[in-house]
Amino acid sequence: MSIKINDLTVTFKNGVTAIKHANLEIPQGIFGLLGENGAGKTTLMRVLTTLLPPTEGTVDLDGIMYYEGNYEKIQKKIGYLPQEIELYPGLTIEECLEYMGALAGVPKDLCKKRIAEYLEMTSLSEHRKKKMRQLSGGMKRRVGLVQALLNEPEFLIVDEPTTGLDPEERIRIRNLLADFSEKRTVLFSTHVVEDLTATCNRLAVMKKGEFLYAGGMRELLDEARGHVWVCEAGDDEQARELERKYHVSSKQYTKDGIRLRIICENKPDIPCASCEVSLEDAYIYLMNRKNYSKRIK
Amino acid sequence: MKKEIKICLPFYKLSYSLFFVCVLSVIRGVAFTDEIGLALEPMMALLAAVFCADTYVQEIASKRSEVERLYPLKNRIFSIYQRIGLQEIYLLLLAAAGYGLFFMIQRPVPLFQEEPYGWGLFGSYMAAVVVTLVFWGMLSHTISCLFQTMWAGIGGCLVLWVFTNSKAGDEILGKWNVFSYAFRDIEDRGDFGWLWGKLVCAALCLVMAGMLPKIIRKRG
Repeated sequence: MSIKINDLTVTFKNGVTAIKHANLEIPQGIFGLLGENGAGKTTLMRVLTTLLPPTEGTVDLDGIMYYEGNYEKIQKKIGYLPQEIELYPGLTIEECLEYMGALAGVPKDLCKKRIAEYLEMTSLSEHRKKKMRQLSGGMKRRVGLVQALLNEPEFLIVDEPTTGLDPEERIRIRNLLADFSEKRTVLFSTHVVEDLTATCNRLAVMKKGEFLYAGGMRELLDEARGHVWVCEAGDDEQARELERKYHVSSKQYTKDGIRLRIICENKPDIPCASCEVSLEDAYIYLMNRKNYSKRIK
Repeated sequence: MKKEIKICLPFYKLSYSLFFVCVLSVIRGVAFTDEIGLALEPMMALLAAVFCADTYVQEIASKRSEVERLYPLKNRIFSIYQRIGLQEIYLLLLAAAGYGLFFMIQRPVPLFQEEPYGWGLFGSYMAAVVVTLVFWGMLSHTISCLFQTMWAGIGGCLVLWVFTNSKAGDEILGKWNVFSYAFRDIEDRGDFGWLWGKLVCAALCLVMAGMLPKIIRKRG
């Protein structure tokens, strides 16, 4: 299962262009979609889920072109977890999933079997009689994930599933997504860089409706290699001066002063040393690189 | 069905609707049994409009519709019809209970002594109110779906309710008024002209039911 996006443009009725001539290929496995708020990630996902028609360009899901006549066929292959969803608060987890499974057209017995299986995988079995309104944010997301998997989709789209969760829940969700990507394509959108470091080998970075980068994680780190520096500032004044002058990805108070991680095209004119690049550094580098040329690999 | 009941008849809806009917039966004065239907019908219409406004749009407000749009349309439409049906059955039972409450609390007397318990009146009230409930419920639901918010359904219905339930509405629309039953002459037991108004309601309900799949496909 692969998805090909060619020259995709999405313009809203108010004239705002959310996606500008985007090209992307999403292969099988887990694929990360990274970008600041308002970059166009959710719009892209809404196009991929057939909620929003493209203004220009084409999208192709395993050879099936996106147009209204094919939407029914495409929708059967997709599972979707939107960023904000409130599942039926008055129903228990089990009832909610059974209801959504029935709406999705999954036969009753098969649906029950899948619910039991996925609740086990998501460690929700013991909570299945709890009402949706009694669940924590993380549990609700896990139920949302199960809901998205009930029709055994080949393409799973999850929009910022880790936002607002505590570290333990975030790790759990990430691991589940990694598990679910074994036999299918998972598009995982986030603005939390470390979520992708932990799960994806391939990713795309979006900014203002365009892809700044699409390719392997390692290649993205390579792009930023040689542009990340560590230096020590003697006092707050000097640290503030450096923050004004450069992009600082981290700031730590140590006993020797203030340690700053600077992202800069060329070596800064202060004593500093080159250091190992993290995905966060690479992301900052990419987002702030002047005259960037798009890298789609 | 059990899940659908839990979704479309939550506790808060049951509470406010019961409260509404109880308060109405206390504060709205009636002297004759023939007046109970007149007192209840327009108010039940208003209740139906508020009650049914969120039948589907609750899916939009909670963003569940974004997921459900991937599901087969016929399943979604069936679920909406089921919800409307369940809500209408509940409202009809409430309308019947409201009639009984008026009877018990206000102790009205019959206008014509030959029919002391007024079962015929009750029968015609139930026939009129079932059409009224379905019409206002469907209308509110349809407007809500078109504008993707329940407030549009409630507001739109309120405007129509104020007009059709007014003297001007009665004079302009006459026997074709959706509230023709409430405006009938209660002293003329042989006047069934109000049925035309109910026929209009029933016809509009059929149109709205037919439009529903298209509205949900486009706006759902």
